[in-house]
Amino acid sequence: MSDPRPDPPTVDPVTGHTVRRYDQELAKLRGIVLEMGERVVEQTQAAIAALLEREETQAFRVLDREPQIDFLSLDADEEVFQLIARRQPAAVDLRIVLALSKVAGEVERAGDKAVRIAHQALELQGLRADSDPLPDDLQQAVRRLDEHVCCLFERGIQALTTFDVALALGIMEGESERDRYAAEVRALLNAPDREDLPTRQRFCLLHGAHALDRIGNHGSNIAEQVIYVALGQDVRYRNREILIETLRRQGY
Amino acid sequence: MSTTIDVMGKTTGATSSAELAEQRHSRATVGDFTSPDARMVCRDVDVWYGSKQAIKGVSLDIGKHEVVSMIGPSGCGKSTFLRCLNRMNDTIEGCRVAGSIRLDGQEIYDKGLDPVPLRARVGMVFQKPNPFPKSIYENVAYGPRIHGLTNNKAELDELVETSLTRAGLWNEVKDRLDQPGTGLSGGQQQRLCIARTIAVSPEVILMDEPCSALDPIATAIVEELIDELRANYSIAIVTHSMQQAARVSQRTAYFHLGDLIEVGETNRIFTSPQHKLTEDYITGRFG
Repeated sequence: MSDPRPDPPTVDPVTGHTVRRYDQELAKLRGIVLEMGERVVEQTQAAIAALLEREETQAFRVLDREPQIDFLSLDADEEVFQLIARRQPAAVDLRIVLALSKVAGEVERAGDKAVRIAHQALELQGLRADSDPLPDDLQQAVRRLDEHVCCLFERGIQALTTFDVALALGIMEGESERDRYAAEVRALLNAPDREDLPTRQRFCLLHGAHALDRIGNHGSNIAEQVIYVALGQDVRYRNREILIETLRRQGY
Repeated sequence: MSTTIDVMGKTTGATSSAELAEQRHSRATVGDFTSPDARMVCRDVDVWYGSKQAIKGVSLDIGKHEVVSMIGPSGCGKSTFLRCLNRMNDTIEGCRVAGSIRLDGQEIYDKGLDPVPLRARVGMVFQKPNPFPKSIYENVAYGPRIHGLTNNKAELDELVETSLTRAGLWNEVKDRLDQPGTGLSGGQQQRLCIARTIAVSPEVILMDEPCSALDPIATAIVEELIDELRANYSIAIVTHSMQQAARVSQRTAYFHLGDLIEVGETNRIFTSPQHKLTEDYITGRFG
């Protein structure tokens, strides 16, 4: 993934208010969203481990931990509500609050996808009575997708700390690679001569890989919000190639 | 018109006119200060109080049927600039205004121009409601009478009623027009002052923090009135309430230390200002 990583902004965008409590409230909201993001990465890695290594315990752990992300999402909503009601944010503050609200939604839905992977892991476990591991080629392909998706998602969360446009662009640039890894997994599972996996097991893996791909998509959506905060431009639904080229040419 | 910041000169200590001239334009304005349908056109306006320059090369249009809000920290020059627009600064000793301010193409600082009719064309509403110590009726009728705008009592009565109606006050005072204006509530007094202003058929209304002495309900009524008045008048308003500027105006101008730092559509200024000083001010990071 190409990412030139110019120096990120040195001043934290949520600080500097005359009313310091305002800084603290914005930082608290961002902290909640960052914590949600870290938990989703952990959940994703655990769910994929459960899927590939047939670890039932890991899958149940993912299901057990899911409500914590939901509760954090409620906390984020409450903070957004209080900030709007009490501070009437404007300009970059308004963009930060709106963006973090949307990012909290993206992260919460990414957490749901990790749960979906865990469910597929449990179903797959039930379908495979023997203890044979999954075929190597499939394991490797899913792991490549997993590593790439988790890397993109983590960078999305990291970009929220300084609203770093260069980092966000790097995530967008990684989308084509993600598509390629996801296509590779689908091709392996859909191969007509694949006789080492029954159809229902293939479905489980397909659903799991699709959920993983969607987590990567949520990471890209977070990157869009980072750019919105930093530049004040809503770049959703914009042509990616043109957007990346334009902003890179501007020095990001 | 969009440019970047360029600090070019000193701002204090000048005494000669040559030095004073050099102090102009310490910063270039970000954003388009022109209006496609301008009522007032201000270009390179400088104001000095003695040797202190309070306004530095400000250019700004006030368009027809629009509300332009002027915001900025205390001492930034927004009220000084507002008072230039109807020559209220003429009354301040040592105050000197340079540059061009035109109303419908006519230079308002022309030596031959009488400021009294100018102030009828460019009315002003002040921070503190200041009704005359006369009846409600007389407060509104006084201006039209001295400017000779009506021919008889019936026309004057009609003008008083129209003005009070436009100011949203008629239904509240129609049965007590002979009572003192000072007996009204603060919000009603301010609307009476607005009625008094519009009674002389101005083209532009200047408002200097018109709601700062009012409670939130009276403020909301005056803000609603400002929005209605926009249909017939050009309005320039100075306010310390950024929420008020965001609510009532179509364009916003941000002043800082006598410079017009940024001007633009209110929607843009309050969501994505281009200048850091503007952003710092409206997000409460100033100072």
